[in-house]
Order: sequence, then structure tokens, then C-alpha cells
Amino acid sequence: MKKALLSLWLVLGAAALVALAIIPGGEKEEHSVAAEFDLHPIVELPKLGPVDLSITKAVVYLWIAAAVLIVVAIVLSRTIKPTPSRFQFAIESLYELARDGIVGSVMKSGQETWFPYIAGAFFFVLVSNLIGLVPLPFAEHNQLGFYAATANLYVTLALALCTFLFTHYAGIRKNGFVRYFRNWAPSSAPPVLRQLILVIHAVSEAFRLVSLSVRLFANMLAGHAILGVFFAMALIFQSYLAALALQMGSLLIYLFEIFVAFIQAFIFAILSAVYIGGALDQEH
Amino acid sequence: MEPEAAKALAAGIAMGVGSLGPALGLGMLISKALESIARQPEVSGDIRTNMFIGIGVTEAVALYAFVIALILIFVA
Repeated sequence: MKKALLSLWLVLGAAALVALAIIPGGEKEEHSVAAEFDLHPIVELPKLGPVDLSITKAVVYLWIAAAVLIVVAIVLSRTIKPTPSRFQFAIESLYELARDGIVGSVMKSGQETWFPYIAGAFFFVLVSNLIGLVPLPFAEHNQLGFYAATANLYVTLALALCTFLFTHYAGIRKNGFVRYFRNWAPSSAPPVLRQLILVIHAVSEAFRLVSLSVRLFANMLAGHAILGVFFAMALIFQSYLAALALQMGSLLIYLFEIFVAFIQAFIFAILSAVYIGGALDQEH
Repeated sequence: MEPEAAKALAAGIAMGVGSLGPALGLGMLISKALESIARQPEVSGDIRTNMFIGIGVTEAVALYAFVIALILIFVA
């Protein structure tokens, strides 16, 4: 009996696949993945010198991320209990990850001073990344679409610039202006070599800014571009069978993107902690 | 060769060759990390944290190639 039922399901499934393959698909549509990342002003505002103050998709996504964080913080602080609810437990685990997993495990000193910044960066990047996976009506003609504020180089560059400035501010405040820069090169090295090391160190400091911002930006952009390519391919192939297979693929990519959103927020925060910790406790 | 074709080809080669090294590096990094966790499970937390830092740094190399490919296609 069970076997008959199973074979019936198999036959039905095969018939459905054949039917999907035979039915002619809809009309071929062009879909540009790159156009998804174009920024058009939603509200036009005047230019302030070279800076365009218009409100674009990215600005709205930043506002949403900030609003989500503020609402979560207010709700959690009002309803906090000794026996945590599931929501409270989830946020507490993330907080613990930021405190013990990121700041506690990497920084040797100044943990209390720099925990707020690093945890703030962690939560902000995490929420921005995750909101990018929720379809919101900010695409062309107010259609639902995927976009993440962190898939924009200017946003990630601003975040990386914060870490860059705080790194040197922390180092100069703790070690003093001259001693901080002198410690970039080991004092035991011979003079000419020492100047060379100083230059190499300065270049590597500058490249941290590039790598920190481009890593986050390119990860989120690549993830969204792959999702977009899968959706666009479903429009190009005029077959429901191919569309079904491609939607399965996009589902897998989507699940992987949730993982990437967490990992990238974690890496951004932990590298910020490593850089700031390195400036506080210099090795040489 | 037409300039457009050359650009598309260059972007493809940049992405393909550029992700080769990071792929090898990531494989080595994660295999070594898992080996050390298997050998010393008591420090698995530390190893995992450092592994993720390494993954982030290694992965960035592939992403530079990705950015170069994007620049070749859309900007250049």
C-alpha cells in the first residue's frame, strides 16, 4: 500500500516536471542586475557645495537600520526580565558575543572604553546586512526589491573611516603623539631600515581603510548580485522548469547570504577591535 | 578585438584567476584550523575567532578582483 502511494507521488512529480518543461514560458524579459544598485534621489534636496544631500535608497535603508536598532533597544530595556524571553535571549547572546567573543578575546586593555563603539558597529552592520535580505518597496516604480545600505561603498567607507580615526585617536591618547608614531617601527632597528619600516607601516595603515571598507561592500554587493542574477536568469529562460530550478538555487543563495551577513558584521567588528587594540598596546 | 569584448573577457579572467589564490588559501587556512581544533579541542574558541579573522583577510583578496571586474565592466 505504502509502495503504491510512493510510486503514485513519483509519477505525479515526474508528470508535473514534464508539464513544466512542455508549457511555454512567458515572454522574454530583459532585466539589468546592475540597475538594481543605481541610486536615484527619492526626495530632491539642494547641493551643499560638492555634496549632494538628496535622499536616496541607501539613505532610507540607513534610517531603517537605525530605527530598528532604536526600537529594539527601547523595547528590550522596558521589558527586560530575569528569566529572559526568546527575543531577549537572542539579543543577549549577540551582546555577549560582542563583549566576550569580540572585545574580550582581542583587546588587552581599554575594553570598557571601546566596547560601545565596537558593539555599536557590530549591531549596525549586522542590522544593515540583514535588512538587505528583506524585500522593501524602494526599487524602480516602488516595486519590491533587495538592496542593502552596506552594498554601497560610501556607507562602508564612512564606517571604516570611523574605525581608522578611532584607532589613531586611541593610540595617540594612550601613548602620546610622538611615542605612538615612533613605536610604529622597532627601536632596535638600524636608522635607514627604521625609516623604511615606518613608511611600510604607514602604507599598511592606509590600506586597512581600503580593505575594511571594500571587504564589507564587495561581500554584500556580490551576494545581492548573485541573487539578482538568479532572478534575472529565471526571466531570460522561457521555461517554467528552469525557473523552478533557479528559484531553488536562489533560495540556497539566500540562506547562505544570511550566514554571510553575520560573518561580515563579526569580521568588521573584530578587525576594528584588533586595530584599536593594536594601537593601544603597541608591540615595539 | 572590439573594446567591449576585451573588457568582458578581461573582467572574466580577472575574476577567475583572482579567486584562484584566495580559494587555495582559504582551503589551507580552514583545514589547518580544523586540524588544530581536532588536536586541541579545549582552545577551539580562540582558534575559531582567529580563523574568522584570517578568512576575512584572505577573502578580501578575491573581493578586490571582484571590484576590479566590476570596474572593468561598468566604469572603464
